[in-house]
Amino acid sequence: MIRRVLWLDTEHPMQLALGLTIWSLWFVTVYGGLSVVCAVSPPAPEEGAFTGLNLVLGGLTLLTLGFLAWLTQRCVAAARRKRGRLRYMSALAGGLYLFSTLGVAFVGLPLLLLPPCL
Amino acid sequence: MSDTQVPGHHAQDKTAQLHRELEAVWRNPHGWRALTVVNHSTLGLRFMGTGLAFFLIGGVLAMLIRAQLALPSQAFMTPEIYNQVTTMHGTVMMFLFAIPVLEGLAIYLIPKMLGTRDLLCPRLTAFGYWCYLFGGIILLSSMALEMAPDSGWFMYTPLSSGEYSPGKGSDFWLLGITFVEISALSAGVELTVSILRTRADGMALHRMPLFAWYILVMALMIVVGFPPLIFGSVLLELERATGMPFFIVEQGGDPILWQHLFWLFGHPEVYIIFLPAAGIVSTLLPVFARRPIVGYGWAVAAVIITGFISFGLWVHHMFTVGIPHLAQAFFSAASMLVAVPTAIQVFVWLATLWLGRPRMSLPMLWILGFLVIFVCGGLTGVMLALVPFDWQVHDTHFVVAHMHYVLVGGMFFPLMAGLVYWLPLVSGRMPSERLGRLGFWLTFLGFNLTFLIMHWTGLLGMPRRVYTYDSTMGWDIYNLISSVGGFMLSAGIAVVLLDLALHWRYGRPAPPNPWEADTLEWALAMPPAPYNFASLPTIKSRHPLWHNPALGDEMARGEHALADASHGRREILGGEVLTGRVRERIHLPTNSWWPLFAALVLAVVCIGLLVRLYPLALGAFLVAVVMLLRWAWENGGHPVAAPLGDEEGDELPLHSRTQGGPARYTMGVSLIADGAFFHSLLFGWFYLWSVSPQWRLPEQSPLDPMLLIGAGIAFALGMLWLERRLRRLYAGNETRLALAFYLIAAFGGLHVLLLGVLLWQADLAPTDNAHDAILLVSLSYLLAHGLLATVLMVLQGRRAALGYVSTRLPMEPGVVALFWRYQLGIYAVLAVSLGVLPRVIGGGA
Amino acid sequence: MLGLAGCSGDYSMLDPSGPAARDIAWVWWGMLAFFTLVFVVVVGLWLAAFRRREHRERSEREVRRLSRRWIIGGGLLLPGMTILVLLVFGVPVGQRMLTLPLPGGEEPRVIEVIGHQWWWEVRYPDTGDGEVITANQLVMPAGEPVDFHVSAADVIHAFWIPQLGGKIDMLPGRVNRLRLQADDPGVFGGQCVEFCGTQHAHMKLYVEAMTPADFDTWLSARQAPADMGEDQQHQVAREAFTQHCARCHRVAGVSRGNTGPDLSDVGSRATLGAGVLAMEDGAITRWLVAHQRLKPGNLMPVHDHLDAETLEGLGAWLETLSP
Repeated sequence: MIRRVLWLDTEHPMQLALGLTIWSLWFVTVYGGLSVVCAVSPPAPEEGAFTGLNLVLGGLTLLTLGFLAWLTQRCVAAARRKRGRLRYMSALAGGLYLFSTLGVAFVGLPLLLLPPCL
Repeated sequence: MSDTQVPGHHAQDKTAQLHRELEAVWRNPHGWRALTVVNHSTLGLRFMGTGLAFFLIGGVLAMLIRAQLALPSQAFMTPEIYNQVTTMHGTVMMFLFAIPVLEGLAIYLIPKMLGTRDLLCPRLTAFGYWCYLFGGIILLSSMALEMAPDSGWFMYTPLSSGEYSPGKGSDFWLLGITFVEISALSAGVELTVSILRTRADGMALHRMPLFAWYILVMALMIVVGFPPLIFGSVLLELERATGMPFFIVEQGGDPILWQHLFWLFGHPEVYIIFLPAAGIVSTLLPVFARRPIVGYGWAVAAVIITGFISFGLWVHHMFTVGIPHLAQAFFSAASMLVAVPTAIQVFVWLATLWLGRPRMSLPMLWILGFLVIFVCGGLTGVMLALVPFDWQVHDTHFVVAHMHYVLVGGMFFPLMAGLVYWLPLVSGRMPSERLGRLGFWLTFLGFNLTFLIMHWTGLLGMPRRVYTYDSTMGWDIYNLISSVGGFMLSAGIAVVLLDLALHWRYGRPAPPNPWEADTLEWALAMPPAPYNFASLPTIKSRHPLWHNPALGDEMARGEHALADASHGRREILGGEVLTGRVRERIHLPTNSWWPLFAALVLAVVCIGLLVRLYPLALGAFLVAVVMLLRWAWENGGHPVAAPLGDEEGDELPLHSRTQGGPARYTMGVSLIADGAFFHSLLFGWFYLWSVSPQWRLPEQSPLDPMLLIGAGIAFALGMLWLERRLRRLYAGNETRLALAFYLIAAFGGLHVLLLGVLLWQADLAPTDNAHDAILLVSLSYLLAHGLLATVLMVLQGRRAALGYVSTRLPMEPGVVALFWRYQLGIYAVLAVSLGVLPRVIGGGA
Repeated sequence: MLGLAGCSGDYSMLDPSGPAARDIAWVWWGMLAFFTLVFVVVVGLWLAAFRRREHRERSEREVRRLSRRWIIGGGLLLPGMTILVLLVFGVPVGQRMLTLPLPGGEEPRVIEVIGHQWWWEVRYPDTGDGEVITANQLVMPAGEPVDFHVSAADVIHAFWIPQLGGKIDMLPGRVNRLRLQADDPGVFGGQCVEFCGTQHAHMKLYVEAMTPADFDTWLSARQAPADMGEDQQHQVAREAFTQHCARCHRVAGVSRGNTGPDLSDVGSRATLGAGVLAMEDGAITRWLVAHQRLKPGNLMPVHDHLDAETLEGLGAWLETLSP
């Protein structure tokens, strides 16, 4: 028998923190990755914004975006189904996931605009 | 509270009897023993009173600054004194006023709003207060001794380090502030756990007063946000005292590490200050709009978002450090992003006013003042988030103006609104509307006169922290206006204080629930009894007093839960996190000398470090540890806490009779704080490794792999055994429990021993290079935790032998097991980071 | 302290004299205009909420619809759109100050600036034969981009010429790069903007932009071996300098001290003590006698053991050091 993991339920309080935690982890990874690569072997400034580094970080951003979007959709669907306290918590979690998704997109935007290591 | 409609004498007698019993159990002692008080109302007021005193000192310092800058080329203060004054003004206002006062407000209000009698860890409240008071006194004594810190309130290295600040100023700052931060952490931990676990029956998360959401997020932010600064302070103090070169480039350190650690704390701190103040607004505004808040869920979401995003902004204080522009852009975007949840709150408030029937009164006036100033500060904040603009105005008076708009507007004005609003609850009297309005307008106009013009001064190029300026700069008139405004602002605050002082005597007596509010604190007597509620309510609505205005009288008559104190214990209810349904009765410790004594001994540690009497500091530290353990000894089944009775009611168990209870939460949240400290440590290690310009890894790792692995295996075996033994205990088997605990502790001891040998064999030269220094700090951290884990296990063995731990009292070993898991976790992470990775990646880098 | 009558340049970022500063000034005026509008509207709405007379009962659904409109419109869309525009158009403005390769492939000139407590060391690398070092004055060519490589000798300082562009920190052990350009020849104010200790307030930098031709002349004048003069009085002063000052100060061809400011062309500078005194006849002597009163806490020891005549001689000789 598979044990039910409680905090995966859309109404669990953990869900309120999960989306923004993913945002934070993504943020730290992108910032940390950039800083370390720039300190160790920076790409040449001539390459502009389209370096391998921007590409890798951009790919990671897209993956995170997709994952967060899925989590958002899951909570929103659950909120439609449920009632009372369960509906409330799911909707709140869905809103927070949505914000996290937009947050990743917004903060990731400069990856398209700027050369990485100057 | 007036019991007007009591049906008969019999009921009246019973009510009086109940209140007498509760009074006997919860009473605050007088005279010398007032120092042992642990009651949250008393301590909350002490926090706020002390904070107010520090605020006045900080305000005087501000006036000195404005006096010096009023005219060009003034010789009112020497540069040395001026730099001390600016440093202390910032430090006092941030660390000794803003945070502690808001903590005090939360400590005072939260149990009342949640419908309970006290916070979960009353002795910790008291300990926090004493740490705050002593830390503040130590810090301020430096001014009296004319050796105050003078490197600016963010203490950038290397200006603050031994070479460029050889005096004691930096030491006063580092030690005093760390002491005060222990207090903030204590408050953070217990507020978090109290909000999660001690709400009134039925107060599910979505029925919680918004104020509690704000404080919950603030408390968690304290728990995560303060440890980086504590870690940074430890490193800097170690560097200053022993010469370990964490921030010295030539020896492999990096001064920028300090900036990262400081702002990792420093930016969240802005929101730690702002959120409770916004919570005050969200509490008061619906009362004066005479309707429930519109968009409760939006507000909750906004608060949670702010809590998280504010940890992703710290580099915006470091835009000119020379970090890659792309990395700056991430932080720029995140800093702009935080405007969204703030705007959500502003429009939630606006919508509430728009859809309500607002009435003007003194608290509302302060809230309007808040709005005007804060919106302005928020907008300049978005400007500053834009990297190129920040490159121009960074470290000018523009930033000084922005910061005061955000902090005074975002914190002081709501605080004043809250002060006026809750004053009748504390004193039973109303403040004067007329004097209050005068005070408000002087403060509001004075503030804007001072700081609005200061934006312009900054744009004209005036840097912050200059002790004087030349007349040819063209900054004269603006500075003069700012100074005039500053004195007007002080006059306003003086009027507010006058009102406060006079109202105790001349204020008109407050009617019950004078503002027609909805939250539970207004169901209390004014001033409230030390036990708050004679009986604890069941909550069915977000607005209990609008829902049932008679609730206060019902509770006072003992018609609700826990209306019994004949057992002589201080008891409150513990509930489920999500639903608030009651799970257990929690017995709280009563008045105690331990918090005061422990804090006093820690003060001796601080002073020992200050005067460089290290043996004294070490000795005092050990005494403090023993005291804290002794304090923890009086818990659970201990005779002074809640010894096992032959028959205990079975409907609601006491929490020490359960397997986890709130103690697990307290340990869990404390470990989050500890984990944040640990993450700062890891960050320091990897940061120096990857970014520090002259860092060198040794060819060969100094850590012996066999010893490292051996230490891990020893601890893991102990851990496995502990988990197995716990399962058997929960299943009802307590044979030879004490012996098992002792033997498990022996594995812990072996772990510590092997780590000790490892450290000794490594033969580090910590004063020579940053690599060895940070290795030493990491291993010492691991060693100290291992030692504590072992000692706690030994004590569990002793408690099992004495019968304080048994199948009927199974709570404690599970809590200790959490600590053991933590130790195993940090061991594994450190073994990989310090032992394995350098071998894999190799030296150089 | 004397004023720096007219020779200090301007410190206002709203009076830009270079492309980077001009872009940022425009960004500022744009943000100011738009945010003022936002401020007035938000505060106006709040006040209007108090003045409203009409308060009819609303159904639950109506309240929900209205509040959503408020919160989504004002709380999400307004800030969301604003920051999107700001990020996309604002952040690239800073690119101008990055040391990106120039389009024509040419290398911009490099000037090194090193912060000290509480003065500026300015070096012109790759100047061929004679090394050019100066202090507390920064001479640069106008009309072309210049790359500044900045660092610090002791604590953290920050390099800022408000009329030309943004600031950058000067860190011990690291070199930061910043590109600035002055449109036309002129004099600008520069200053330290990272708190660096007692005399942070008196760490001003005199910045002068010249036509590239004038700049080259200026530079080569400093590369030529200095004419030390054969005047008897100056001979004495030079000996006194070698005895009392040379350990800390460099004068090209005379001494190689490197703790205090380079004095090779001190007579030609506009100010003394990083902006404390205007250079005029007798100013150096005045500084030598009273520098701890003029700039309390500065790191030059007092010279009370030298008699007034020696100090005057030193001042007079140093004033002649003007290529």
